[in-house]
Amino acid sequence: MSPITSIPAFSPGLLPQINRLAGSADMAATPSVLPAATPTDSSSFSSLLGKLVTEVNAQQQTAGQAVTALQSGANIPLHQAVISMQEASISFQLMVEVRNRLLESYQEIMRMQM
Amino acid sequence: MIQILTGIQNTAAALDAEHTRLDVISQNIANAHTTHDVDGKPYQRRVVVFETALQNAMGSDGSGANLPAIQVAKIERDTRPPLQVYDPGNPEADGRGMVSMPNINIHEEMADLISASRTFEANLAVVKNARSMAMQTLAIGKS
Amino acid sequence: MIEALFNQPNYLAAKKTLDAVALRQEAINNNLANLETPGYKRMDLAPNFESELEKATASSDPQQISSLSPSLAVDTTATSSSKDGNTVHLEQELMKMNQNAMTHALETQMVSGMLTKMRLAITGK
Repeated sequence: MSPITSIPAFSPGLLPQINRLAGSADMAATPSVLPAATPTDSSSFSSLLGKLVTEVNAQQQTAGQAVTALQSGANIPLHQAVISMQEASISFQLMVEVRNRLLESYQEIMRMQM
Repeated sequence: MIQILTGIQNTAAALDAEHTRLDVISQNIANAHTTHDVDGKPYQRRVVVFETALQNAMGSDGSGANLPAIQVAKIERDTRPPLQVYDPGNPEADGRGMVSMPNINIHEEMADLISASRTFEANLAVVKNARSMAMQTLAIGKS
Repeated sequence: MIEALFNQPNYLAAKKTLDAVALRQEAINNNLANLETPGYKRMDLAPNFESELEKATASSDPQQISSLSPSLAVDTTATSSSKDGNTVHLEQELMKMNQNAMTHALETQMVSGMLTKMRLAITGK
């Protein structure tokens, strides 16, 4: 697999999904629905998710710029482009894992309410 | 186009320059006994004159200084007088039996040849090394 | 969150060293290209980089490490062996090239290993 194509495309469906999860995390934390298990307040959690998404996006941008610069023949060191691509890919995977865990725990919570 | 092998622009110039030098040296050796060049006089030794041109080094923050690249400025003739060799049997001999031979010293040419080959091979090694370093870099993060 | 992931001092130091190695390779390439240039003075990494990197690594401060900036300078300790003032010695330059290539291999492996570990920690594979 050529390193140029290994940047995963930022899936358009992921962002709204995460936002929805963040929104429902807000709802789930209100006392009328669940006994409050953790003392952390909901707004900091969703803002944490928002920050994660922004940071991952920024890193994808940097990696994209590095690859474009390389392709257009600019004199940047190869290792910097390769490393930023890898970092972007890792942070993207982190975000995907966070989303998976959130989804699991959300589904578990929904199951519990039955 | 993509510049994957960065940092070897000057190497290409050096390989070019040394190749030209090797060509000139082999021409000199081939013509070591040419008493009649196209202009009627004995063959004059040709000498390659190098000059440096400044290239920009890499460094995304401009940390690279200007690095000089070598290139062939011109090929000029060695103006030393032709060698006078005593050879009365030669049809070219003048009244005193001396023949004007090209001002080429074989030992000088051989030393030049060796030094040019050395530089050429060193620069080839540079290219090979740059390639293997780039291949390693492309494998970063692959388990 | 991402910042914390990639801001570890060891990782940053390895990346900086890789930057320096790449820059040094360019200097060595250029020295060999100018092996026959009259009056050429060999270039190398600016000598203060190594000590600065050591200091920054000892302090374990990510900001300090990532603010380092390796650069090239004329090697003032090189002596000339020929009449025209060229300070490049072929054998020494080839030795330096080999050593730099090995350092590059080492640092590349380190950075690659750290990235692989991060990936393993995140995805479990």
